[in-house]
Amino acid sequence: MGIDLIGLIHNELLKITGRWRSYIGFIGIAILMPLILWGFSYGGGEIHDEYASELGSNFLVVGSIFNAFLATYIVMNAFWIHMPFLVTLAAGDAVAAEGAAGTFRIILTRSTSRIQILFAKLFATWIYTALLILFLAFMSLGIGSLWLGSGDLIVFDKGILILDQSEAWIRMALSFGLAILVMCVVATLCFMFSTMVNNGIGPIVGAIFLIVIGYIIMAIPIDLFESMEPYIFVTYFDVWQQAFKDPIPWDRIIKSLSILAVYTVGFIGISVAVFLKRDIKS
Amino acid sequence: MIQEKEMILKVNQISKSFGVRIAVDNLSLEIPEGSVFGFLGPNGSGKSTTIRMMTDLIRPDSGEVFIQGMSVQKNHQKALSNVGAFIERADFYKHLSAKTNLEILARMDGKGYDQIPIVLERVGLSNRANDKVKHYSQGMRQRLGIAQALLAQPKLLILDEPTNGLDPQGMKEVRDLIKELSNEGITIFISSHLLDEVQKICSHVAIIFEGKLITSGKMDTLLSESELFTTEVRVDPIDKAISILEPLDWIMKCEERNGVLFINASPKKTSELITILVQNGCAVDAIIPKTSLEDIYLSKTGTNGN
Repeated sequence: MGIDLIGLIHNELLKITGRWRSYIGFIGIAILMPLILWGFSYGGGEIHDEYASELGSNFLVVGSIFNAFLATYIVMNAFWIHMPFLVTLAAGDAVAAEGAAGTFRIILTRSTSRIQILFAKLFATWIYTALLILFLAFMSLGIGSLWLGSGDLIVFDKGILILDQSEAWIRMALSFGLAILVMCVVATLCFMFSTMVNNGIGPIVGAIFLIVIGYIIMAIPIDLFESMEPYIFVTYFDVWQQAFKDPIPWDRIIKSLSILAVYTVGFIGISVAVFLKRDIKS
Repeated sequence: MIQEKEMILKVNQISKSFGVRIAVDNLSLEIPEGSVFGFLGPNGSGKSTTIRMMTDLIRPDSGEVFIQGMSVQKNHQKALSNVGAFIERADFYKHLSAKTNLEILARMDGKGYDQIPIVLERVGLSNRANDKVKHYSQGMRQRLGIAQALLAQPKLLILDEPTNGLDPQGMKEVRDLIKELSNEGITIFISSHLLDEVQKICSHVAIIFEGKLITSGKMDTLLSESELFTTEVRVDPIDKAISILEPLDWIMKCEERNGVLFINASPKKTSELITILVQNGCAVDAIIPKTSLEDIYLSKTGTNGN
């Protein structure tokens, strides 16, 4: 007899795919991205002119300025605040849904330890999160390339940075990779709340509430809040943007990821402590 | 305490409180291997909490539960590896089929894939195996609940109210299944409100009340040693029979109701009772032992309408 973690993760993915709420994020992206791409295509002339005037006649840009890379960059900036909502839809249910459905009584009475079940759920939540971000990448970069074409990526960040097409693909891959890690932190936060309650809404509200509080602290320029910023995990959520700087600030990326990793370990630790001690009364 | 066979399940002085309410108070039980053990108690007596502590759903404040000598609290995986449990209600992943639900559980057990068609057949759900559980009736879910408990081919089956929601035919099927499983050597620990069902199928019984063990033992012994043992005697002439029996010191009570004599006495005295009546010229038509588990249960728990 051997209980393999892959099998347990398979179980959890089956449960995730069986819940309609898990598809909201994918459906949202599938509907919104074509609309956004259509909007860019329709109103792209204005953005093109704006970019062209900024660049003046000093730069030679290969391909269209307004291409899939730029569209993706703009979309990521716009979506960034909203992605946590989509990510938490599955994470909120990860543990809480079992309590609500009463299925803890059949899974926790088997010869699988609670810790194995908990980590299988966590890994499945991370896989879901990664797939959601990759789907966004596919819709924006993949469909965007077909729709708007590709070319160099122009980023305005303390000056103009033009990344050639091959470099742009690498930066996009790095950016989405970092985005997956950041969203996994959000998912883990929501997962932690999910171990504490028996309904999937509470963890979503709890996680989003903490994130919004973090954004508010970052947005208000008072000394107290500014001194708190380095200790707030939300501060490091923009790490994906570092992929579009030149040179890539690896030290800053590593620092951000390290701090986020500490938070993630903390969230997991609390989840484990709560779940192992939890009495299943429902 | 029961001593005759090796104990497959030992509940060792477990206690559990929720806030100020003591749900289970220093409870100990021993369940012999191969027995069908009935676990009785009124609502709120701590039955479900005890069963949940046995299956590691609830952590005891003190005490421990051992299954085949292994602590459920300290060695969950090994202790529960030969246990099938059906706790309270049959809740499943309703958006998935019965077969997929069982596949999920088989993956958790690391065994039992080959048992899926067998257990589904056993509970009569083979032809609905691919239907989503949300389309199942309550009775079908209950049967699927028993199927999932059997999946890992357990040596100990813990059933908490397994006949809830079943019609009389369904109840009989579960009762027959329990007898069948018992004949296969599986130990069955069953909690039920249906005392008649418990009396019919259980070899041993324990009654708890307000979290404490009131009595525990072999069903036959419990019934025969009870002071409540009543014998219904159809005898003629009834007045003469009363006058003969009443002076006897081993007759605890002797009264006539609707032309029938009800006698409280030890069942060991039944043959002596018949002899005395016949020798004194009374015609005995019938002698029917009347004591039921319900009488004992109501007496022990003080819930007989008081």
